[in-house]
Amino acid sequence: MGTAIAPPRPAPPFQSPPRPTRLQRLRRRGIESYLFTLPVIVVFVVLFAIPLAQSFYYSLTDFNGYSTEANFVGFENYTTIWQDSSMLSALGFTLIFTIATTLAITALAIPLALVLNQKFFGRNLVRSVFFFPSVVSVAILGLVWGFIFAPLGTGVINSIIGWFGAQPVAWLAEPTLARLSVIIVAVWGGTGWHAVLYLAYLQAIPSEFYEAASIDGATRWQQFRYMTLPLLTPAITVSQLLLLTGGLKVYDLPYTLTGGGPGFATRTLTQSIIENGIAQGEVGKASALSVVFFIAVGLIIVAQLALSRRLEARFS
Amino acid sequence: MKHLRSILLSVVMLPLAGVVAIPFYYILVNTLKTQPEISASPLGLPSGVDFSNYAEVFEALPIWQSFLNTLYVGVVSIFLMLLVGSMAAYGMLIGQGLLTKLIGVICLIAFLVPGQTTLIPLYRMLSGMYLVDTLEGLIFLYMGGAIFCYFLIIGYMRTIPTEMFESARIDGASAFRIYRSIVLPLIRPILVTVGVFQAMWVWNDFITPNVFINSPDKQTLVLQVYSAVGQFSTDWPAFMTLSVIVLAPLVVFFIAAQRHIVSGLVTGSVKG
Repeated sequence: MGTAIAPPRPAPPFQSPPRPTRLQRLRRRGIESYLFTLPVIVVFVVLFAIPLAQSFYYSLTDFNGYSTEANFVGFENYTTIWQDSSMLSALGFTLIFTIATTLAITALAIPLALVLNQKFFGRNLVRSVFFFPSVVSVAILGLVWGFIFAPLGTGVINSIIGWFGAQPVAWLAEPTLARLSVIIVAVWGGTGWHAVLYLAYLQAIPSEFYEAASIDGATRWQQFRYMTLPLLTPAITVSQLLLLTGGLKVYDLPYTLTGGGPGFATRTLTQSIIENGIAQGEVGKASALSVVFFIAVGLIIVAQLALSRRLEARFS
Repeated sequence: MKHLRSILLSVVMLPLAGVVAIPFYYILVNTLKTQPEISASPLGLPSGVDFSNYAEVFEALPIWQSFLNTLYVGVVSIFLMLLVGSMAAYGMLIGQGLLTKLIGVICLIAFLVPGQTTLIPLYRMLSGMYLVDTLEGLIFLYMGGAIFCYFLIIGYMRTIPTEMFESARIDGASAFRIYRSIVLPLIRPILVTVGVFQAMWVWNDFITPNVFINSPDKQTLVLQVYSAVGQFSTDWPAFMTLSVIVLAPLVVFFIAAQRHIVSGLVTGSVKG
């Protein structure tokens, strides 16, 4: 045997023989981790990647949903969507809705959160009442508010106006009022949710901060302006991001409250996409709209994140 | 001074909360009234306690069917979402390098893509699979929520010391065993929070059933309320009653799970 006559060598360092090498371990772990992440990758590919790619593809064709072939038309769909009055109207209202609800909810939710952070009798009840509308289905709330705004006997608002001798107002039949009504309901339903979000951040501020500030003689306003508000910046970022993206994606509330009317006054982009793409078979055009929508939402998210990063850097 | 402030806040906030709650009071009180009574005074108290509206609505509509549909879709999709999300989070934790980057990109894209953009292709996909107008089709679509679950679960998992998994691994436990008997029990709190949060989404969702469900016997509760409005357009008490019946489980859910809803809101918004 060759080994017997070989010159003696230093004994190898102790090593338990069946132990796999580092590389083998890495490989096994790798396979295992792929197995565990496989389902989520499948979900992503099937529900996000493929449909997204298809949306891009359809947006460049004249596909109508039924024909077997789709002709490549380049960017034609992207130009025609800007000439469709219903789509433009949808774009306009979606933007108005997004901006108005973002501003109004932020302006109301921060003071509300400050108040709900104070101690007072019935605080938990008040918190729950403000929060509750965001727990239930927006679609049902839209329908209920439809009855509340109605000029018929169910219309609470009109009967209250009636006490003062005024004529009933057709809230949902006049374009500007209909838009306003949708926004009011959205603010009513969303403020509590965002207030609770702010509240969570407020509660994370140590009370010592306030004690120290009042010892230093800071007024309540100064405490808010120079301490609370900067510390709330991350919450503002998050809340605004949710409001902006949520506003652009809005569908349930206008659809159930006004059905998008009168005319196209409260039509949303989502409603346009659904009606054109699924009901009317204008897949190409609707896909172009959905791609534009995707880019707009993406840009807002990126811009908002960049802005907030700068703000946070400035305040901290 | 402090007392005065607290009293003042109560005096201002309690009535304000009352105003905010008016729509709920409105539908609740009108379920006990007849139509002429509502017309006469929409916010007034009913003349007596009369539950005939409830009996009528339960008779006119397949509410139990819709309830079971919603429950079925909710339970199955939440279970699958949590399973896929938690598996991915664990796989991510034991994986490294390329995989981590891949999942990161996946999450970013999934986060950026609005549901509206993928709606038309998904409709065509489902119709090709004969899943349009089926409850299974809804479950299939709600699986997209697994990525949000993953987001929250991985955030929570990172706060758990990895030694717990490592020592189990050294003891010879297989990856699946570790996932089942160590990871899952450890992440229970976040699973509950995410589950509650996603359950709210699925239960309240309107756009998906509205686009994908046509048959009355496959409606979810929210869709049923929507389609009943046409039917009840002149029968307001019936509509109010239906709304109350559909909202009632949510009130119970809200009271039971408020804490989880709030913590889901906070962690979800921080991660999202």
